Amino acid sequence: MRLSLNSRISAITALLPALLVMLVVYIGATGWTVWMSLTNSRMLPNNNFVGLRQYEMLFGNDRWITSVHNIVIYGVLFVSLALSIGFLLAVAIDQRVRAEDTIRSIYLYPYSMSFVVTGLVWQWLLNPTLGIQHVLRSWGFEGATFDWIVRPETAIYCLVIAGVWQASGLVMAIMLAGLRGVDEEIWKATRVDGLPKWRVYVSIIIPMMGASFATAAVLLSTGVVRLYDLSVAMTNGGPGIASEVPAKFVMDHLFERANIGLATAAATTMLITVIAVVAPYFYWRTRKGEMR
Amino acid sequence: MTAAAQPLPAARRSKRMTPARWGLYAFIFITALYFLLPLYVMVVTSLKPMAEIRQGNLLALPVAPSIDAWVKAWTSACTGLTCQGIKIGFLNSLRILVPSVVISILVGSLTGYALSLWRVRGGNILFGTMMVVAFIPYQVFIYPLVRVFSFTGLGQSLLTIVIIHTIFGLPTMTLLFRNYFASLPVELFKAARVDGAGFYQIYARIMMPMATPMIVVAVILQTTGIWNDFILGLVFAGRDNLPMTVQLNNIVNSTQGERAYNVDMAATLLTALLPLVVYFGSGRWFVRGIAAGAVKG
Amino acid sequence: MKRTLFASVAIVAAACVSVPVSAEEMKAEVIHWWTSGGEAAAVRVFADQFTKAGGTWIDSAVAGAANARNAAISRTVAGNPPTAMQLNTGKQFDELVEGGLLADVDAVATEGNWKGLMPAAITAAATRNGKMYAVPINIHGQNWLWYNKAVLASVGADEPKTWNDAITILDKLKAEGKVIPLAFSGQKNWEQNLFNSVLIGVGGAQMWTGILGKRDASLARSAEFKAVAVTYKKLKDYVDAGAPGRNWNDATNLVIQGKAGMQIMGDWAKGEFIAAGKIADKDYGCTVLSNGSGGYVMGGDVFVFPKAKDPSVTKAQMTLARLMLTPETQIQFALKKGSIPVRSDVDTSALDACAQKGMRYVADKAQQMPSGDMLAPPAMIGALQDAISQYWNTNMSADEFSAKVAAVLKSQE
Repeated sequence: MRLSLNSRISAITALLPALLVMLVVYIGATGWTVWMSLTNSRMLPNNNFVGLRQYEMLFGNDRWITSVHNIVIYGVLFVSLALSIGFLLAVAIDQRVRAEDTIRSIYLYPYSMSFVVTGLVWQWLLNPTLGIQHVLRSWGFEGATFDWIVRPETAIYCLVIAGVWQASGLVMAIMLAGLRGVDEEIWKATRVDGLPKWRVYVSIIIPMMGASFATAAVLLSTGVVRLYDLSVAMTNGGPGIASEVPAKFVMDHLFERANIGLATAAATTMLITVIAVVAPYFYWRTRKGEMR
Repeated sequence: MTAAAQPLPAARRSKRMTPARWGLYAFIFITALYFLLPLYVMVVTSLKPMAEIRQGNLLALPVAPSIDAWVKAWTSACTGLTCQGIKIGFLNSLRILVPSVVISILVGSLTGYALSLWRVRGGNILFGTMMVVAFIPYQVFIYPLVRVFSFTGLGQSLLTIVIIHTIFGLPTMTLLFRNYFASLPVELFKAARVDGAGFYQIYARIMMPMATPMIVVAVILQTTGIWNDFILGLVFAGRDNLPMTVQLNNIVNSTQGERAYNVDMAATLLTALLPLVVYFGSGRWFVRGIAAGAVKG
Repeated sequence: MKRTLFASVAIVAAACVSVPVSAEEMKAEVIHWWTSGGEAAAVRVFADQFTKAGGTWIDSAVAGAANARNAAISRTVAGNPPTAMQLNTGKQFDELVEGGLLADVDAVATEGNWKGLMPAAITAAATRNGKMYAVPINIHGQNWLWYNKAVLASVGADEPKTWNDAITILDKLKAEGKVIPLAFSGQKNWEQNLFNSVLIGVGGAQMWTGILGKRDASLARSAEFKAVAVTYKKLKDYVDAGAPGRNWNDATNLVIQGKAGMQIMGDWAKGEFIAAGKIADKDYGCTVLSNGSGGYVMGGDVFVFPKAKDPSVTKAQMTLARLMLTPETQIQFALKKGSIPVRSDVDTSALDACAQKGMRYVADKAQQMPSGDMLAPPAMIGALQDAISQYWNTNMSADEFSAKVAAVLKSQE
């Protein structure tokens, strides 16, 4: 496609703000972060080079290892559940149900509230002496147990429950936008063919919504890696260190524990991991030709 | 009888309640319970006095519901020396929200548009870098950014916080719009180019009007993120522009002081009202057939 | 913008009204984390006094100590520091002093004879290179034991003096089965606080300073330390299933309601008792457990003053430093905050029974124990916290725990 010079210039000037930002903020700040991880900075940054010592300390740190382990579990469960539930909710709403505005708002409202207090509410609900287990027992179900949140092996799943609660509505919104972009003609054609509804969704609609799924998946994934508020509000990483997550590790060491060196080492490790996962994918897509 | 897909004439609006339809409503009902449970606890707790809350019956309805906690949260809760509740920050939050949302969506959509439809060299690298950086906890950038902004003389101000929000929103916004534009029928774009339309004309006259559902999603994302932001507003907005979340944090997060859970819940619900209004009102734009209409015409 | 205009008009109007005849403008912007009702009332004592001295107190409260510190330090580094900022008594401002970012308050300290009036550990914690850089304003005891008098009476128990006494009582409560013996809030910092109480109460003063101050790794592997660890873990038997994640004030509430017997918590817990209308020595009791060589773990708050070029700012800072330590201000602040005054020469008759007990502990030099924060940097305290929390919440043995603690101590240099 021959692009006129004028349009080409416009395209580049439109990208200029992003370029500027990228250079200054992302590369500059990221570079600073990596440099900090090679120093022994405590509360304030300093330039005392100590090589890879912070990384040694990081990988000998039980809490970090557990955090990484946890975020993988959380990530897989959270993304797959939120995508599925969000998609199902969007399909449900798309069926021209009554009171669509209200129902849509019911699914979306969790996203509007920060986790500081909603995390506490979920903690109450999942606490065996206060919440659901207590209520079930008071209704007569004597042996009912739902004490995942106080047991180290299962605390991380409670974070998934609250995380999915908050994010599914957003996924629903993205999917709904995608669903409603599907051409009328296609629906008409499927009815002419006489395909059952669910077949239409599985074989035709879902493949057409690739972009929506991709957007939602990426958004959810950034949410996974940045998971912090929820871990603090619901369990504060507990019991013990059972529900610690990497972003909380970075934050705690950056501020409260006055250990910039260790915190930036953790952040750099996260960055390298993401690059390692994302870069091959981008390379592959670029090789395939036009990025679509 | 499967549910019809096209906009129905008004007369046929009510549906027949088939088993499939019952199943659908049952699904909606059960999932709604899961979503509404915490809200129920929050509202109920906010209507009880602390003595009743201390007894610990989470799901019980209040014995004598009262809106004292709500009034206190809005007008008289202590947030430091001032005991005026969270209302003092409301205007500040608005002043930060509106320009930040508008500008971040503008810049993000423009960038997404340029990246998706115009093959610019290095565009993929730019996009890839943005996406990778979006995965870093943004708090790590606070310190270097503080230095940069004080170096450029912008310091802490309304302008600074708007720029900060735009910067941090850029990856997500770009992602949203890039993917959306890339999924639209390319015939539209080609036809407009053949007609001789330029870069900005296509953006403003064709692409953005078609992107209405995505703009709604972008508004939802940005409004929520910026309205609920605490740490960036605290560090970059300057003392006179502190958003409502600072007061909310002061009420809810006191380290060693007494905790009034009913006020905490009321304050959180009050803070959430604005995004909720945005969500509720966004319904009008989740309408089917915009893109389809454009293609056909 | 209209709002800025309105604000500037308001400030000018207020300045015209609030007087003092002197043309000098003494403004102090103070960053602190006291945001709840009781804390705000305490801060108001300082603000009122400052206003009386002719100054304007600009309040920048940020809840969450880490948030407040973050805000204050970001601003200091960006070149726009507040006039004063709050920190905990301890090592948190080491780097600020090293970086030459703080103004010293030596002159005010000598004038007020602080070294003569405050516990040695506290003045030491505020001194660097022989000069005082921080103003200690209160003392919070961290290892108090709070108990519900009626609950203890129901098993025929008196106020415990040592940890052995306490465990006997806990056994009785557990056997009876009607209440939770030990009210506990399962969050990392409270797990550490409980451990610290056992460390000082069972291990004694030498163990305390040896581990936290001298960082003697071999001490961590000794039999005495193991005894501390074992006692600590034993306390888990007396804690209920809902403890993990619970907030500290909810645990205090259990004691207040008679649903639990005792709680180990700092003296900020008193605020909860008072808010619930309970009376010291009547409804609840307070004490510090010790095996004879232990002590009263003193934490607290200080204010530091970022160095300023403008002499009027320095004047405001020194005025603040002076007035925060006057006897009258100290008593008023202590009454509202629930801490005890940092001066030993104030009239304590207005303080409640538990606060007076605290003053008696502090008056005894042998009982004055510096808090962990005063002895060790935040990074080490944090690393210990992780180890303690793991030990409390998993099947880790006392030996493994000792090894972990020794490793933490070794890695600090």
